[in-house]
Amino acid sequence: MPDDVPRSPLPPLPPLPEEETRTLEQAAAPPPLAPPRGSKPRAPKADDGPARRLWSAGHALIVCVLALAIGVLLNAPGAHKSAFNKSDGWQRDVALAVTGPLAGVSHALLLDRPRKAVQAVMGRSGEDEIDTQIALPSTPVPVQQAPTQRPGSNKPGGSKAAAKPRKEAFTPKRKLKIWIAGDSLVITPGYAIIRAAGASPVMQSVGGVDGRIATGLTRPDVYNWFDEIRTRVKQLKPKVVVLDFGGNDDKAYMTGLPEGVTIDDFGGSVWRREYARRVGGVMDVINRAGAFVVWIGLPQTRSPDQTARFDVVNAVVEKQARKRPGRAAYIDTYRLFAGDDGGYTQYMRNLSGDLVLVRSADGVHFEREGGDIIAREVLKELNKQFDLTSWRKKAQ
Amino acid sequence: MLFPTATFALFFLVVLPLSWLTMPWPHRWRPFIILASYVFYSWWDWRFVFLLAGCTLWNQLLAVRIWRSTVQAQKRALLILALAGDLGLLGYFKYYDFFVSSGDNLASYVGMDLPLSLKAIVLPVGVSFFTFMAISYVVDAYRGDFQPTTLEKFAVYLSFFPHLVAGPIVRPGELIPQIETPRDPRRVDTSRAFYLIATGLFKKVVIANYLASSIVDQVFATPGQHSSLEILIAVYAYAVQIYADFSGYTDIAIGIALLLGFTFPQNFDSPYAAVSVQDFWRRWHMTLSRWLRDYVYIPLGGNRGSRLLTYRNLMLTMLLGGLWHGAAWTFVIWGGLHGSAMAWERWRRERRGPIERAETRWTTWRARIVTFHFVCFAWIFFRADSFSAAWDMIEGLFTRWGEPSPLVTSGVLLAIAVGIGSQYLPARIPRLVMARFSRLPVLGQATVLALALMLTSAMGPEGVAPFIYFQF
Repeated sequence: MPDDVPRSPLPPLPPLPEEETRTLEQAAAPPPLAPPRGSKPRAPKADDGPARRLWSAGHALIVCVLALAIGVLLNAPGAHKSAFNKSDGWQRDVALAVTGPLAGVSHALLLDRPRKAVQAVMGRSGEDEIDTQIALPSTPVPVQQAPTQRPGSNKPGGSKAAAKPRKEAFTPKRKLKIWIAGDSLVITPGYAIIRAAGASPVMQSVGGVDGRIATGLTRPDVYNWFDEIRTRVKQLKPKVVVLDFGGNDDKAYMTGLPEGVTIDDFGGSVWRREYARRVGGVMDVINRAGAFVVWIGLPQTRSPDQTARFDVVNAVVEKQARKRPGRAAYIDTYRLFAGDDGGYTQYMRNLSGDLVLVRSADGVHFEREGGDIIAREVLKELNKQFDLTSWRKKAQ
Repeated sequence: MLFPTATFALFFLVVLPLSWLTMPWPHRWRPFIILASYVFYSWWDWRFVFLLAGCTLWNQLLAVRIWRSTVQAQKRALLILALAGDLGLLGYFKYYDFFVSSGDNLASYVGMDLPLSLKAIVLPVGVSFFTFMAISYVVDAYRGDFQPTTLEKFAVYLSFFPHLVAGPIVRPGELIPQIETPRDPRRVDTSRAFYLIATGLFKKVVIANYLASSIVDQVFATPGQHSSLEILIAVYAYAVQIYADFSGYTDIAIGIALLLGFTFPQNFDSPYAAVSVQDFWRRWHMTLSRWLRDYVYIPLGGNRGSRLLTYRNLMLTMLLGGLWHGAAWTFVIWGGLHGSAMAWERWRRERRGPIERAETRWTTWRARIVTFHFVCFAWIFFRADSFSAAWDMIEGLFTRWGEPSPLVTSGVLLAIAVGIGSQYLPARIPRLVMARFSRLPVLGQATVLALALMLTSAMGPEGVAPFIYFQF
């Protein structure tokens, strides 16, 4: 620091307020010293508008406690749902034990009405309902015979070339519709897929990226993806559904379990069987609606423990995708985002050879360039599955 | 531990009474508040508590030695050592990988190999804020402006949980005198505190989150898929989102400090009502801009040299201010845009000479609109993930008019209108509200606050995203 810096007056920096050219002592808040015993507290001078009454610290505490108590009663349905959505453990048990009766009292006294009215105005009625029902197809999707005719050929079957299954062709007039959904991990790659799809005249994103933080397939009470997926594929009629789940599913707790099933530990046989049922069920719902599933696997993360748990989730998902050839594909991001030593890396080289940030600071999520890497893999998979280029030859 | 969570509410309900109960005995209160602050900080990652403690010890040790030293050269050497430690800490945790990757890319262009490897370092939350406060402390000691206090008081100053993770950047002269004297438990400005907390929560939880999820995130992620109107509205929406997010956080921080008996400086003053970029920085993140003035701009020479030197100093200050916000070149460009605009404003003012033109309502509004749009333009670089993304946004602003704009909904327009309109609210209205509130009985005050909580909770999204400024 130079010694010749003049201290008074300070050279004014244009972007700063005039009053900030005061000395530090002037700028310091006047410390409200404790007054002598017996003196009464006085209100501040009316130099900043109507005088405010000053209160005691005890008053502040009472108002805080009362406001929170009344606030919890007014918000009891939401508080109860939040408690229900917590991770399994003593905190959840305590929260449920407190909020459950509160929700009952709030409902009995009609104190939950204002919250419901506000939610209705916002178009979010029913947000506080706790839904643990999982509706999955009970029978597997019938395997359809893939057409054996090559595009452009008039001869059905028989020829040597016709042994290859025909790829469904898409054109600028009949675009391949893609819907993207999942937990927070899908958001960045999802937008990258939309950017990539937008650059192609034969692909179209429908429904944007439905990425919901802290959700997954183990907790329909937090967010019921089973209902959401069923509804959205009916509404949007996508031909491809890109999913990324599991980042919040690495726990030994599930809701919506069938009768008599209990989960003892994460990754155990019961857990794997139930998770496979859910993953496979979601794939079947999408396949029944006539769409192909691209499931983005979980990447390795900065935490080796978390990576080990993600491996368990990935193994289940990959197996389910393999069981559905031609109807589902699995993108192995573990391999895609491995560093030179095979472990976690935050930076990778892009196609131009530049070192770029691919993973976000939290060591789990993706940065934009990381999303682009996944998008390229998804597009490769779609090119394997569908005919996205023959329209060019026809157009010529 | 985020402010708008049940965990923080419970934490604060314990800390508030205990803080006031121990307040008459400073030797009990200070260890208590340090412990509470460290618990608050450890909620993110307990390991960084040691970093905070180490930063405290380092700066206290050197500040005391600087103050005691009578030899100027020694004082200077100690100051350089202290700054090297603070900037080294910030540089390592925040900028190491950024500089290594940038250096590697530059080296590869000239066919060289950089012998440095990336480290994937975890950024400690709030490190930019507490290192800047520590720098204030040692520099003020060096300048003779502020006598270092005891280690205990300095530890309270640096770790005091209301400002710890995202400011405001409080100066030693503002907070340490308050720490030295017990607060008066009978004179707490509760109405202002509750007003700031309630409005801060609403701004953050409702306005900022709604705009982010409804338009900003989608458009900035995929600008090529959106119409010019959507891009324009998304830029306005981001301007409101970042204001609501950051000013909401500091409002809550100031309110919480007030309930504990401490006064923090104001951090925002209707920034989108600014009539120039210079004026904008008088109103936006005020504690950072005055920090940059006193610890960067003035040491660089301020406006005491030639015109060109003044412009250089302005530019350097704003470039550093940009880099402070994040380890990316887009932030540097953002700072550079602001620095250039302020240099240009200064040049224009000097060319005109001392004769002031009469301000009319029209010229004032024109200046406000131009300033707001310049600030919004600069926000594109601040928010965009890369230059190409920023360029896609700018290009899209001009090339896709007339296309469908489903994201421009009445809700989005209303939230933007509320966010910008609130900047023009006459100051007497919040004062009147606070004064009226302060005269309500206890139950009335609690009911009003509970209704505000209900409204925020019912209108806000499920779960709360972290504050934007945590990453800085």
